[in-house]
Amino acid sequence: MENTKIIDLVKKISEERDEEAFSQIFDYIAPKINSYFIKNNFNFEQSEELTQDVLSTIWSKANLFNPEKSKFITWSFTIARNKKIDFYRKTKKNDVNEDDIRSFLYPNDDGNDYEIESTINKIKEELDQNQQKLIKMSFFEQKSHKNIAEELEIPLGTVKSRIRTTLNKMQKLLS
Amino acid sequence: MNLTVQKNELIFDYSSGNLGEAKSLFTSMYLYLNRVAAKKSSIFDNILADNLNDLENIVPKNLKYSDCIKGKMESSHKKNNTKDLNPLSSLLGDIKNVKWKSIYKGFKEYSLPIDDKDSIKLIKMEPGTSVPFHSHNGKEYILVLDGSFSDQYGEYNKGDMQINDQKIKHIPTASDKNGCICLSITEKDVVFLGKFGLVLNLFTFIKSFFK
Repeated sequence: MENTKIIDLVKKISEERDEEAFSQIFDYIAPKINSYFIKNNFNFEQSEELTQDVLSTIWSKANLFNPEKSKFITWSFTIARNKKIDFYRKTKKNDVNEDDIRSFLYPNDDGNDYEIESTINKIKEELDQNQQKLIKMSFFEQKSHKNIAEELEIPLGTVKSRIRTTLNKMQKLLS
Repeated sequence: MNLTVQKNELIFDYSSGNLGEAKSLFTSMYLYLNRVAAKKSSIFDNILADNLNDLENIVPKNLKYSDCIKGKMESSHKKNNTKDLNPLSSLLGDIKNVKWKSIYKGFKEYSLPIDDKDSIKLIKMEPGTSVPFHSHNGKEYILVLDGSFSDQYGEYNKGDMQINDQKIKHIPTASDKNGCICLSITEKDVVFLGKFGLVLNLFTFIKSFFK
């Protein structure tokens, strides 16, 4: 979906509480978010529940999305990531009424996704396909080094050293 | 591993959601105080988020858009600019008002009520106060919230982070002018060295029974 179209739809959701606009945003982002949770090893039922949480947040907090600073996809990703952490927190503890520190965390929306685009593109150009895949498996899908080794059929030590090399490469581009 | 690499890894882990509650709060505070760190975190968020575009779409079978608009609407329709974004004061209120526990002259601490394997606390050192020569069993993360401190490795001001491990043996001293308030995470208890070491280690050992 075109970025201008997304911005227009989110604006309609925020300002007019437009359900038709929301249904289009739902069709665009819900299958991606659902897929993200499945990739993160949640079962189908859990994934759909978490997707519902994320989309409900998009509906109720659409007014907090700033299209001049943030990309919708990044904003949605951070919501999904926080829901994932919250899910683990609730499963870990019996007392779910305890305050979730996530609600106190710094939203880090002072930055501008568009201003850092050149650095992001530079990092993507510099990392080869395999390195991008390792970053994706380790940080996006949260796979353990052991699982990555099994999936790629390479020794565990190689996974660790390749991730280290990739991170070092990224560090240089970040500094 | 050098310090910049370790700091970046903390930011990357924060972006991916790998951190426990204590380190999440700590890193969040670091991003709040340190613009460079916040920018790095945004870059990594964007890189990870881009993966959503490449995923195979999996349409939820039992979920419709209308299931997601039942929740309450946010009360404020416009951005609430007056909200304090400081994660620690959102959680604790004004840091000046926390109930400090005096550990020794000039050194106070406050353990945050967060149930996690890592312990997270606030440390307040009066001007000129030092921590006896010590090392660390696991890693220790120190973030300066106010004032400054220095040790043989350098000076640390507001928004600076120090990460210590077994290799680091140091005597941090708060600045003579303002003292310092820091946020600290310890993975394992510190190991005191020097003439008071035995007593302080015994104290740490006894304290562990009352945790």
